[in-house]
Amino acid sequence: MTTFREYREAVAQGRRPQYELPTLPSDAVDFQGDRAGFVSRAVAAGIDVVLVFLTVLGTIAVLWMLSFIVDPGTDGGSFGDSRVPPVVLMIGYGYALNVLYWTVGWATSGRTIGNLVMGLRVVNYKGRHPRWIGAFLRAVFCTVFPFGLLWVIVSGANRSVQDVVIRTSVIYDWVAGIPGLGSKAEPTTGSEPTSE
Amino acid sequence: MTSGADEASDDPAREIVLVTRPAGPRAPNPVEALREVVSNSVGMAAYTASTLASLIEQTVSYAVETSVNAALDRVVPAIADAIIERLDLTDLVLEQVDLNRIITSALDGLDLTQLVIDRVDVNAIVAEADIDAVIDRVPIIPLADYVIEEIDLPQIIRDSTSGIAGDAMNTVRRQGVGADQVVSRIVDRIVLRRRQRKLDAPGSPESLAARSTDDSDRGSEGGTT
Repeated sequence: MTTFREYREAVAQGRRPQYELPTLPSDAVDFQGDRAGFVSRAVAAGIDVVLVFLTVLGTIAVLWMLSFIVDPGTDGGSFGDSRVPPVVLMIGYGYALNVLYWTVGWATSGRTIGNLVMGLRVVNYKGRHPRWIGAFLRAVFCTVFPFGLLWVIVSGANRSVQDVVIRTSVIYDWVAGIPGLGSKAEPTTGSEPTSE
Repeated sequence: MTSGADEASDDPAREIVLVTRPAGPRAPNPVEALREVVSNSVGMAAYTASTLASLIEQTVSYAVETSVNAALDRVVPAIADAIIERLDLTDLVLEQVDLNRIITSALDGLDLTQLVIDRVDVNAIVAEADIDAVIDRVPIIPLADYVIEEIDLPQIIRDSTSGIAGDAMNTVRRQGVGADQVVSRIVDRIVLRRRQRKLDAPGSPESLAARSTDDSDRGSEGGTT
């Protein structure tokens, strides 16, 4: 407990009183910063994949509509009778979009929309959000080998295969709204992740 | 042969009478009588003289003591007054007496707090005190800020209002955390893992960092407060 004397000295040294309502519920304080479990991470990844899938569908819809503008004839235009790109092409597009989306999200704030909804954040071994290279490698790895997430279930430290290889962690970090680009939070615990 | 007593016992009518005859008077010795008379006279005279001397001594002693006391009762006060008039006792005490030692010794033997509690009516003093002047010196606003921060009033307000408003996102997150723990617990039981999972990660979460950073830092975090 801070005494009134200590409080006045702190204020005299420039500390400001805090009146803003915290957004973090008191019962969630204890596990903030802990590595997240499988369910939260799977749900977050699922949300992201669904968003990418919807984006791909939207892209297909836009291309389908554009095909009528570009080639209003009955032969279907450059994509043939279906007026939509080939499935393989769209799958490749979806994978690329997924990699791009996760790379940008993790490199800028450590969060994607799915992470934000589930209150998760990706950090590197220094406790900060990954750099572009690290985020890209992790995004590629997660996109190509999504089953690496299953390792979280049996891992003794809630780490996926990607986390172990690229030395990252996914932690509970509940924030409201969309965080600013780049984290100013300095690592305080400083403990290096342990290899499994 | 039988004795006289046996005969008497044999004949109850006969009595035996024992008669004692005093010795014959001795002739008085005049020398011893004279010596006894002289001795008694000398003892009586010595006792009388001793008693008389003691009585005289007590009488004289009483008379002398009474006279001396009466004289001292008159003379000593006069002499003492004369001496005191010629001395500055205050200076004398200040120079000759270690007052600090006396005061320290006296204070050590006293429980001043208990003395004040027993002897001083604190309520009466407070009743007479100017409370407004005291309050004017109290920093009310910093005190209020301190109370707000110490009881974490913003957190109380948030906890009370979040139950009414219903924070859907935190509910989903909370359910996710609960599911994580359930899955971990089940798997740990299956794989016979006895120690707890090591969940400590490097760095500090922004959600907690927002609590300790100042307003400017929180503003740059874009809504992490």
